[in-house]
Amino acid sequence: MLMISPRMASGMQEKQYTPSLLNFFVYNPTFGQKEGEEEKKILFYHPSDVEKNEKIRNVGLCEAIVQFTRTFCPTKPAKSLHTQKNRQFFFEPEDNFWIVMVVRNPMIEKPNKDGKPPTVEYQEEEIIDTVYGAVVKQCYSMYKLFNGTFGRQMEAGGVELLIQKLEKFFYRYLQTLHLQSCDLLDVFGGISFFPLDKMTYLKIQSFVNRVEESLSLIKYTAFLYNDQLIWSGLEQDDMRILYKYLTTSLFPRHSEPELAGRDSPLRPEVAGNLLHYGRFLTGPTNLKDPEAKFRFPKIFVSTEDGYEELHLIVYKAMSAAACFMISASVELTRDFCEQLDGLVGPQLTLLASDICEQFTVNRRISGPEKEPQFKFIYFNHMNLAEKSTIHMRKTASVCLTSVHPDLMKILGDINCDFARVDEDEEIIVKAMTDYWVVGKKSDQRELYVILNQKNANLIEVNEEVKRLCGIMTASA
Amino acid sequence: MERDMRGRGNPWTPSGLIGQFSLSNNVSSPTLDKETEDAATDNDRSDSGEFVVTMLAKAKLEEQGIGVKGRSSPLLEVGTQETPAFISHRDEDVTAESWRQHRKHVFVLSEAGKPIYSRYGSEEALSSTMGVMMALVSFVQSGDNIIRSEHIVVFLQKGPLVLVCVSSSRQTEQQLRGELLYVYYQIISMLTQASISRIFEHKKNYDLRRLLAGSEKILDGLLNLLDSDPSFLLAAVHCLPLACSLRDSLSQILQKAITPNLVFSILIARNQLLTIVQEKTVIEDARLEPADVHLLLNLIGASSAFQAGEIWTPICLPLFNPDCYFYAYISYLDPPECTVCLLLLSTDKEAFYAVAECKRKIEEAMMAQNSLSLIAKVQSYSVSQVGVSDLRHFMYKPFDVTGCFITYSKMEAPYSSEEEKMRLLDLYRYMHNRIHSTSRPLKLIYHVAERETLLAWVTSKFELYTCFSPLVTKACAITAITKLLRWIKKEEDRMNSLKLVLFPYLS
Repeated sequence: MLMISPRMASGMQEKQYTPSLLNFFVYNPTFGQKEGEEEKKILFYHPSDVEKNEKIRNVGLCEAIVQFTRTFCPTKPAKSLHTQKNRQFFFEPEDNFWIVMVVRNPMIEKPNKDGKPPTVEYQEEEIIDTVYGAVVKQCYSMYKLFNGTFGRQMEAGGVELLIQKLEKFFYRYLQTLHLQSCDLLDVFGGISFFPLDKMTYLKIQSFVNRVEESLSLIKYTAFLYNDQLIWSGLEQDDMRILYKYLTTSLFPRHSEPELAGRDSPLRPEVAGNLLHYGRFLTGPTNLKDPEAKFRFPKIFVSTEDGYEELHLIVYKAMSAAACFMISASVELTRDFCEQLDGLVGPQLTLLASDICEQFTVNRRISGPEKEPQFKFIYFNHMNLAEKSTIHMRKTASVCLTSVHPDLMKILGDINCDFARVDEDEEIIVKAMTDYWVVGKKSDQRELYVILNQKNANLIEVNEEVKRLCGIMTASA
Repeated sequence: MERDMRGRGNPWTPSGLIGQFSLSNNVSSPTLDKETEDAATDNDRSDSGEFVVTMLAKAKLEEQGIGVKGRSSPLLEVGTQETPAFISHRDEDVTAESWRQHRKHVFVLSEAGKPIYSRYGSEEALSSTMGVMMALVSFVQSGDNIIRSEHIVVFLQKGPLVLVCVSSSRQTEQQLRGELLYVYYQIISMLTQASISRIFEHKKNYDLRRLLAGSEKILDGLLNLLDSDPSFLLAAVHCLPLACSLRDSLSQILQKAITPNLVFSILIARNQLLTIVQEKTVIEDARLEPADVHLLLNLIGASSAFQAGEIWTPICLPLFNPDCYFYAYISYLDPPECTVCLLLLSTDKEAFYAVAECKRKIEEAMMAQNSLSLIAKVQSYSVSQVGVSDLRHFMYKPFDVTGCFITYSKMEAPYSSEEEKMRLLDLYRYMHNRIHSTSRPLKLIYHVAERETLLAWVTSKFELYTCFSPLVTKACAITAITKLLRWIKKEEDRMNSLKLVLFPYLS
């Protein structure tokens, strides 16, 4: 991505290039170990129009680097390679399967006079390893959600099937990667929880129980409101990646029609059912049409002894969304969908308006939110809860933060420092712009606060942060 | 660390003649060559054994690059005695787990993949690993490359040499690269950059170990210093805190004992600087960089040969001028304790006797003023002198025009063991890196950790690193810093009195 920043002094324009994806490949060095068969190691390579020998060479280099680092530490081989122009990230999600992502470093192109080629300055320090390392891991997790592990694919259909699946998935997924907006939140991969009072929470729980009882095929349920999670029956790691999929891919795709006006052609067919506002986001878009074909996406979640494949049914009514997961071995018929629609639709609609009402009432009682005054990011490792008052909108393609990107990178640095030790720590820094940044780690929770108080001293900063912590514990 | 080399077109040494100099007496090296030995004149050895003179071989270095058939310089003695500090790691088993667990490996090889030096393990045993390293360097694009895993691997290419560091010390790539640069400069200080370039230009797969035989101790010593001495981190020189009057009197003594072509006179005590006196015309152009002083201190400290009498040897100051030699007169003034060392650098290789005469004058003057015992009484700063209870350690570097000097307190309990000292330094290193980040530098870092609280602060006037007990409150820390800075101001005459003193150039 290219951004132009006009420089007034010289009158010439500097071009700022943000980090971008150069290569992404998946390989297994145990395939094709014989001379002349190296190409067999490569299971996926982007961009695909690169010459075969160059692909082999790049993969060979990665193998060499991993081998070399094993000389010094056999159990923990290379994670990244820094060169002036780009950065490579290595990740081994399963034995001998390697994923490598190559990112081009951000750079500034300064024009030269007299027709000389512009000078390029690479900004290596702008890329934080932990952030992009987390992005690579997320790529694998997303693949695994929809396809299961590599090992499983190999069992099901050998290398050919694996190659096919990789191609199909990554070809689309890589297009959704927006490397210029990756930051600390990617490291956390957390979930935003919707704050609820006990009564409403109980209502939702009993709703889930009722549905699961009536439709015994349902194995797991998850309940979200407004892109935030309320309840989940899935394992944490599975929910976290499913959450990312829902909030960055599925919901945004379907949000526009809902916002459209009553007479807009975008408005989905309510199909004559005036009893509720529920509809399927996955599966049948129009229940009335008996000829229309439909299918539900399949996901893989982990169980005690491996994985199970499930249909993912996402059903939405106003701002509330319920996910129902049913074993993939069952065939879901139109009848079943109608049954679900009839049962869930009205109840979910009711619940959605209940929640909305409660939420508004609560806000009126507790007064205007004090928290947003503070710019902070909070993450709890135990339940994966995250909260950010810095990000105003974060989807896959857009990341609007209300602070300077350099401050976000300082947060990334502090997070790196916390990761070095297990103990609780606190780091306070004053940036060159006189902003204060405070990071606190305690009991598996991390809090980052940015204060724009240029003339404050250490003690005053400390007091401010204490105040915020007080507010947060009070409202929890 | 790379400075603009402001050599003035080499007035000191005709570029062609760069010699390796023979140690006439004690060492019998297997590379002994009769020809050059004969060329050496004046194999004098006085009865008392104090006086070991090495004379310069008249034979030129075989610049055709076939290699030097002469013996190595006294700096590179084939180790006859091993001091406990330099237990050789040459014979370590490179396949053992213990080899892998070393905190920091450093390797030097030539562009052709020929091994030159390895900190742990012999180069021979590591030749295949070095081959891989070379392949990686050439394969990956040019420029400096780093591999990050549990360890960081940093590659640095300087001219025909490739330096690699594999470290689990959690230092940053910039810091490790800086350390590799130091290793490179230490090699330069023994051979000069010009001769290395020439040798490899002529013969790409030359085995540089032939010229560096015996120098492993010096590189080992440098790497140990880099690990344990804070002055490298802050790119400044640590000086002994002398009273202004004492330092002035020493500088005057040095200033008076001069001879033509004498460029630097340096007094060192216990590996810390006492004073430097510099020729006036030189200072117009360039100044002795802290890195050069570090390299000199290491050369002297790492080699126990100097403790016996006087040494006359070529030394290159890589940041001052990487292509030519100075001739250094080195002598300890207080045998047998050997804590105070005099270093006189001249541009004239024949000037040994004139320079030795300077030393005698200096010795006499110091005796008259009882300088040696005064120096012996000087103690490094201890944190208790500051009078702040929570403060455990500090390092202070003023941004002063006249020089780059730092002051730090002794490492005392709880940092008494080597491990703890290293750990504290590692913490300082990480803070230094964050504060001086090129893309997002900071003004202040306050880090509360389990075992200590650290504060690092950079202003336009100074750089300060302090360590407190972990339970200190922020209010106490601020009070402590204020008190510390006040104390430093009071001590300023001791800390900042070290200025480079000039003496007039006598033609």
